[in-house]
Amino acid sequence: MRRTMLVLLWMVLAGCSQEPEQAGFAGLAESVAEGMAEGMAEGGGEGGQLFYLQPGPDTGLTLPEDLGTHPRHRIEWWYLTANLRTESGEPLGLQWTQFRQALLPREAGSIPEPATWPLEAAWMAHAAVSWNGKHVFAERLARGDVGNAGAAARPFSVWLDQWQLESVSEDQWRLQVQAENFSYDLTLTINDQPVAHGIDGFSAKSDSAQGSMYFSYVDIAISGTVTFEDQSLAVEGRGWFDREWSSQFLKTGQQGWDWFALHLDSGDKLMAFRLREEGNPFVSGTWIPAAGQARPLDSGQLALSVIEHREGVPVRWRIEVPAQGVNLELSAPPGNYRNQGLYPYWESPVDVSGSHTGEGYMELTGYR
Amino acid sequence: MTLFTALFSHYRRHPLQLAALALMILVATTLWSGVRQLTEQARTSLAQSEQVMAGRQQVVRVDGAGLTVGDFAVLRRAGVCVMPWLEVPRPDAVGLVIGIDPLAAHCFAEEGAPFGTPGGSRPARLDGKPFVDIAEAARLARQLPAAETPPALVLIAADDTLAAALPSGYRLVSVSTGPDTGELGESFLLNLDALGILVLLITALLLRSVYRLGIVQRRDSFALLQRFGVPLARLRRLLILEILVLSALCIGPGLWAGGWLAQSIGQGFGQSLQGLFDAPLYASPGHWGEPALIMMTVVLLACLADFLVPVRRSHAPRLRSYPLAGGLLVTGLVLALLGPSLVLLFVAVAMVFAGVGLLAPLLIQWLAERAASMASDPLRRWRHRELAVMARQLALPVVALQFTLAMVLAVQALVTTFEDTFDRWLGQRLAAELYVPVPSGQPAEPAARWLAAQPGLQQGGAWHRVIRGRARVAVGDKAARPVDLLAFAPVSSLVSDWDFLATDGNPWEALARQDAVLVNEQLARRLGVGIGDRLALEIAGSPLALPVAGIYADYGRPAAEVLVSGALLPAGFEAEFESISITPGGLSREALVGGLKQVWQVPELTLRDNAEIRALAGGVFDQTFLLTRAMSILTLVLAAIALLIMGWVFFTGRAWYFRLLATWGLSRREVAAQLTRLSVGLTASVALLALPLGIWLTWVLVHRINPLAFGWSLPMAVYPGFWVELIGLSLLIGLGIALLMGRQLRAGAALPVSASSLTGGER
Repeated sequence: MRRTMLVLLWMVLAGCSQEPEQAGFAGLAESVAEGMAEGMAEGGGEGGQLFYLQPGPDTGLTLPEDLGTHPRHRIEWWYLTANLRTESGEPLGLQWTQFRQALLPREAGSIPEPATWPLEAAWMAHAAVSWNGKHVFAERLARGDVGNAGAAARPFSVWLDQWQLESVSEDQWRLQVQAENFSYDLTLTINDQPVAHGIDGFSAKSDSAQGSMYFSYVDIAISGTVTFEDQSLAVEGRGWFDREWSSQFLKTGQQGWDWFALHLDSGDKLMAFRLREEGNPFVSGTWIPAAGQARPLDSGQLALSVIEHREGVPVRWRIEVPAQGVNLELSAPPGNYRNQGLYPYWESPVDVSGSHTGEGYMELTGYR
Repeated sequence: MTLFTALFSHYRRHPLQLAALALMILVATTLWSGVRQLTEQARTSLAQSEQVMAGRQQVVRVDGAGLTVGDFAVLRRAGVCVMPWLEVPRPDAVGLVIGIDPLAAHCFAEEGAPFGTPGGSRPARLDGKPFVDIAEAARLARQLPAAETPPALVLIAADDTLAAALPSGYRLVSVSTGPDTGELGESFLLNLDALGILVLLITALLLRSVYRLGIVQRRDSFALLQRFGVPLARLRRLLILEILVLSALCIGPGLWAGGWLAQSIGQGFGQSLQGLFDAPLYASPGHWGEPALIMMTVVLLACLADFLVPVRRSHAPRLRSYPLAGGLLVTGLVLALLGPSLVLLFVAVAMVFAGVGLLAPLLIQWLAERAASMASDPLRRWRHRELAVMARQLALPVVALQFTLAMVLAVQALVTTFEDTFDRWLGQRLAAELYVPVPSGQPAEPAARWLAAQPGLQQGGAWHRVIRGRARVAVGDKAARPVDLLAFAPVSSLVSDWDFLATDGNPWEALARQDAVLVNEQLARRLGVGIGDRLALEIAGSPLALPVAGIYADYGRPAAEVLVSGALLPAGFEAEFESISITPGGLSREALVGGLKQVWQVPELTLRDNAEIRALAGGVFDQTFLLTRAMSILTLVLAAIALLIMGWVFFTGRAWYFRLLATWGLSRREVAAQLTRLSVGLTASVALLALPLGIWLTWVLVHRINPLAFGWSLPMAVYPGFWVELIGLSLLIGLGIALLMGRQLRAGAALPVSASSLTGGER
């Protein structure tokens, strides 16, 4: 029986390969695009050949439009991590992510007829809660353009089935997720202007042209309720929201990435990532001082190194930004924080010690 | 000259023999693999729909409107795990494809239900059919001819979906709304399998006869090669290689042609399956390896069985097979009479055929020899003796022809009986002139009130509402089972011509008085119900217990059905389909249509007349037996060709003896007449012997197999006119042999040739 159902789930995704060397988050682009594009080839012919757009340093950000979808880009995501505390002061980590994977590029205005069940984009949403050494994760998938999954910039809303993030006022968003064994309903207060990473929002992902458009809201006050194992927990804390899109994200040979978003108690914030490849990894980041302009960091200004592994996953790290006098030691709390979805990856809160104290989130992909 | 060319030179001299062998392998493969492909596909479909749909529930709209992609989005946004399911016929091809959304199916996995991947493992990639992405299914649906009803979207809900979780305007119903058809679908396929195997056996017999003929003719050249020092084992290996190569060359195209056959009749077959058993035929890829292997084995066994079991050359032991054949025949006959299951019946048929197959040539031989010994005319005595020899030498093709004739006769009787009965039955059922389906979402009562108030309808007119739905029936202590429900309101004169299989007084009056129910034959058989038995019915939750006043024939459907008066239906009863049958009488058609349109406030009204429905029903039932008919006719053609070839070769081998007739003073015309009488005598005896077997097979099909395979019985009828046609065909085959022989005799050389003359002296 189960076998048959495997057929049901993925059989349509069989058979073709579209530029498989281009990988995306957690293997998403690679795996989904590989399968799905073929059936869509016919539809792509309408109105001439349309190609995916590749962002570059000149692209620039347009807000709030860039909170909505980018149908001419292959992949994009909306991403929230939160370091919260329960009423009794216990730390609780929380993640919500929604991905859009285009199977066919199209102009922003040309929306296909839902009755045709178009297969031009696939959506995937992830939600996870980490509390008391336990980590729960849920995943939902949906076809785009039929109504149950999508995103809009005005008013800002991202939804997949009953999960949704939507703006409720000028600076407040509401995030609701109901999974089988956990749920959350949170109010997010956006305290700051978005931070553009890299060059005007273009965040390079290799020494060649690969990269993505990337901006973040790094100072979000969060309060609400998390239901975990039938316990309803009132929570408060701070969050980090990423918005990122691209068409060619990783280059061939890059095996995965290690990404960090840190809230330092000094009020400074740090985003850092490392793309692993043969030879030297590609390292980049953004230093966001409590006051003043965010500064992009390159490999000469930022160093990441692994201190300790747990079952093959690097769980303790050292991050140095010498120019800022930053020498941090990061460690994941005990436990297994693998998100066991279609494309497994590690997503855990981290404690920060060393030159600064603080907290944050760490995402590691490509570790078996 | 190499050993190979020496060995195979036989076929250079007799290319027709090689062609005959190739043709038989090809046709046998085509027929058998074609049928097999269809039954396999049907079985897979049955299993698939059973597996995927069993126990599942679907979401429907409370207002009865069809579901759209919008409903899907509404339900998903409300947190209900539903998956779209769209079944679409493939254009110009066999079967249905099922469009699903694999991404939507993912939530089924979360709940531990099927439809998804277990615990995050990477999903398997599979190649589609019958499942395709719903975008592809929707595209196919848009390409359907406008006349076809567009496929309906089904939203399957996860197993643990609760009715309370649904947004308002939706409700949950069981996916399986089809009637309980028992094992009928499987029995129907088993029936086809059996026919396929019979055809395979007949062709194997024919193949064996042609091949053995060749081997007998080549025996002298084998002996010669042995004397040249070629070991017997090597010769045999080469012969095996020869037949392997031949079958490899013919089975491939045969399988291709089988696929083509399945393809060309598959659409109709799928319709039959859907119409008869409510079982869809999904598109599925054909498998080639296994049929090829089976066919290869059959060919090898048929041709090379002598290598495995040493041939007994003496004729004496064959007479010892009398008791064996007789035993098989009698056991088979008894088993056919008493066998309770389809499989046992097929075993019985196989035993009877085996017994008859063993006995028939011996019987012809015995009769011919007896006739010869009693004949005073030497020519007549010669002819009878020659017939006895022929019956022995041509035993295999003779038996094959006998089987085929019997099969064709029985299939024809079954199909013709069915057509006649069905036509009569349809005439009774379609007594009204017009049929108006009640428009979706409209109540039938206002129309009924309007009709009752029409004075024109009173003048020679009649009408009643036909309401179809579902009920549950329990008999005795048995658990209640779902059945189809049919209700008439009022019970009009339109039904008074119905023939009943069993009645108690006037069943229509009892029905109108609401004192009794009527049941169809399928229900009576399945639940063992008779006249006067009390049925415990449950209609829309309300109990109702009434006796059975009549059992009516209900051909062509597998479902059990109970017929009640419409006045007995409880308020909560939801009809699945409602129509009104009307003979307008004094009311004009225009007035009728206009009035009903006004009552229902609809711009258009679907109106079907008697002839249209008759044509629709006839089409479906023609399809049902298309395959059966096609197979029997093709087999007959094959058997006729085989006997023609065999007879011709046989006569050629004995040409020298026949030429002696001329030497003895008979004119050419007289010789030709003797040959004609001889060959026609042989084929006529085959036909005569096929008659009882065919009639018996008809009885088994009609009285034993049909009720088990279809759920209803037919009256047994025989068609002597067709017997005459078959005997005529046999005579034609006999004449054909004589004609070929005549040409052969006129052709030349008259050397006596016999196996004993080839002693190596020809070197």
